[in-house]
Amino acid sequence: MTISNAPSWFQALQERARQLYPTLALPDFKRFNYRDWQLDDPAMQPPAALTPLASDDQHFNQQAITYGSAPLQVNLTAEMRDAGVVVEDFATAFTKHGDLLQQYLMTKAVAVDEDRLTAFNLANLQHGLLVYVPENVQLTTPLQLLHLQNSTTASSDFGHVLIVAGRHSQVKVLQQLETRGTHANQFHLITEVVALANSHVTFTGLDMLSQQTTAYLNRRGYLGTDARIDWSIGVFNNGNTIADFDSDLRGHGSDAEVKVVALSGGDQRQCIDTRVTNYAPHSTGNIAQRGVILGRSELIFNGIGKIIKGAHGAHADQENRVLMLSDQAHGDANPILLIDENDVLAGHAASVGRVDEHQMYYLMSRGIPKKMAQRLVIRGFLGDVLSQLPSEELRERMVQVIEGKLKNELAD
Amino acid sequence: MSVLEIKDLHVRINDPEDQASREILKGVNLTLNTGETHAIMGPNGTGKSTLAETIMGNPSYEVTQGDVLIDGRSLIKLPVDERARAGLFLAMQYPVEIKGITNLEFMRAAINARRADDDQMSIRDFLAELDKNLAFLNMSESMARRYLNEGFSGGEKKRNEILQLMMIKPKFAMLDEIDSGLDIDALQVVAKGVNSMAAPDFGTLIITHYQRLLNYIKPDFVHVMMDGRIVKTGDAQLAIKLEDEGYAGLRDELGIKANLVDDDVTEAKSDDH
Ligand SMILES: Nc1ncnc2c1ncn2[C@@H]1O[C@H](COP(=O)(O)OP(=O)(O)OP(=O)(O)O)[C@@H](O)[C@H]1O
Ligand SMILES: [Mg+2]
Repeated sequence: MTISNAPSWFQALQERARQLYPTLALPDFKRFNYRDWQLDDPAMQPPAALTPLASDDQHFNQQAITYGSAPLQVNLTAEMRDAGVVVEDFATAFTKHGDLLQQYLMTKAVAVDEDRLTAFNLANLQHGLLVYVPENVQLTTPLQLLHLQNSTTASSDFGHVLIVAGRHSQVKVLQQLETRGTHANQFHLITEVVALANSHVTFTGLDMLSQQTTAYLNRRGYLGTDARIDWSIGVFNNGNTIADFDSDLRGHGSDAEVKVVALSGGDQRQCIDTRVTNYAPHSTGNIAQRGVILGRSELIFNGIGKIIKGAHGAHADQENRVLMLSDQAHGDANPILLIDENDVLAGHAASVGRVDEHQMYYLMSRGIPKKMAQRLVIRGFLGDVLSQLPSEELRERMVQVIEGKLKNELAD
Repeated sequence: MSVLEIKDLHVRINDPEDQASREILKGVNLTLNTGETHAIMGPNGTGKSTLAETIMGNPSYEVTQGDVLIDGRSLIKLPVDERARAGLFLAMQYPVEIKGITNLEFMRAAINARRADDDQMSIRDFLAELDKNLAFLNMSESMARRYLNEGFSGGEKKRNEILQLMMIKPKFAMLDEIDSGLDIDALQVVAKGVNSMAAPDFGTLIITHYQRLLNYIKPDFVHVMMDGRIVKTGDAQLAIKLEDEGYAGLRDELGIKANLVDDDVTEAKSDDH
């Protein structure tokens, strides 16, 4: 599979990925084994589905909709058009903004040869999306990207999203992942966010892939001088998931704030590996993760804070907390600090706990039924991260998704 | 008009530490009609909170004998939330803090849990009722928007229990040491809240150590509990007498073998268990 209009540099890169991937190791996620998911097995990857977009999927408040590898729908606001914001699929971008792609695609954030899954993704790439916010452009309305996985047939989905925020630009991006159809498929998506000097990207991810989907989600930030990325990611997939959320603080004074909220239920297995690396002096990386585990499911939070030698005055802090609602649930919260510099400030907190019986009793003593009391306790547990989300609207949205998923999980 | 009956209630506590299980309530009988106010007094550790918690349905207490009924319907097998919806309310001696849930959403959930799906209280009606009660209890509006009891002072927690009582409007309220830790003004406010509930279809069971509260909330009956039983019942005068004479006199008068925490001070003689 290749993308039309691909110039020779891209074809060469893809060829390299094809050669390389069998020689590279699968990424290692602490305390989580996913080898039997066959994410790197070509035999497990039926070709992309090309079914056109169903008519009920016309979401006009979305700026870009991808539906498997069907043609991208783009619908920019007047503000975005006037500012020269680019939202194009790779096939279009190859001809119109080939230089941008060549400059930033897997050159700053994710490297092709990083591990087997990054190479495998490029080798099999079916569709890509370029978002470019020019220098000094400060968008007021959020840019909404909806990726619909086409599971109306047996097909794998390999996608890439590259977001480049020019110097001094400001943009809010909402990336939403959903599945249409009920086939058991794999979904591979790499999202690179390149935040150039003094830019500010507010990135929200809402992952809602189906139970039949096995997902590999890689989101990576590259931060230039004084750049900032606010990540708020809700991992609400119903299927097995590997989520690799990383930020590289390359620029002096850059700042990554990472908030992750996740829910596992049923027989689901999910691993969320969140890393922030301070390469530059006076950079700041904060991670706050909250996870709830229901049923017989598993959820692992790895929080990795790395401070590289030379990153004087760096700050790195993380808090990973997991709440288990059943005896069969399996969870872990592992803070991993790797610090190679002295004058830094680093801290971590982690906990794995069960629902507090005294809290349940108190709520129920006011007549609140057990399931609802559990929902309240869960919401309370997630509350301090939810309350830090960048907008009220987003908070409401997340709460809605959480309530929806909890309603299913706590139905019995 | 409703009636809450406690019949020959026996309760054990299984101490997870030393395996031993101990009988705390040894046959409590009590009948409480709506329209009445009852007070229970008694030395520390005699089982007053155990009684209230057991009536409410706290799962830590094991009922080995006896029954709790509302209007003849046994509650003893029902979980706590169903008992609450049947009309029971317990203002707890130690209210629990829950971070992340606002007082407001908690109370709204509690009210709506009692209503049918097509009859949920609207936000507007709820807020109107809430504002009225907050004002009545001299509580600031911000208290309702804060997380449930989180960081509340001891007195604020007690006030918040009364706020819940006024919002939920149960048939029977048990108030466990609602006066402990309250300053004089707060005591009056809390009493005012409880008194405002007075109605032919509302009954109160007050657990207290201090006769002073009973100056503000007038009891129809005063019960004295010792060593897991109600040993004496009288009117408001009994509380005044106890305030003067303490429990040792009553214990010896009734010939009960029970240890009082302050035995060494009162110099009363008692046998060891
Ligand atoms: N959950 C529990 N686990 C172990 N022991 C308990 C528990 N609850 C109560 N007890 C014990 O049962 C006895 C009665 O306690 P209870 O709290 O009912 O007393 P009380 O009359 O309310 O005392 P106070 O006036 O001090 O509040 C005490 O000895 C107490 O230590
Ligand atoms: Mg007590």
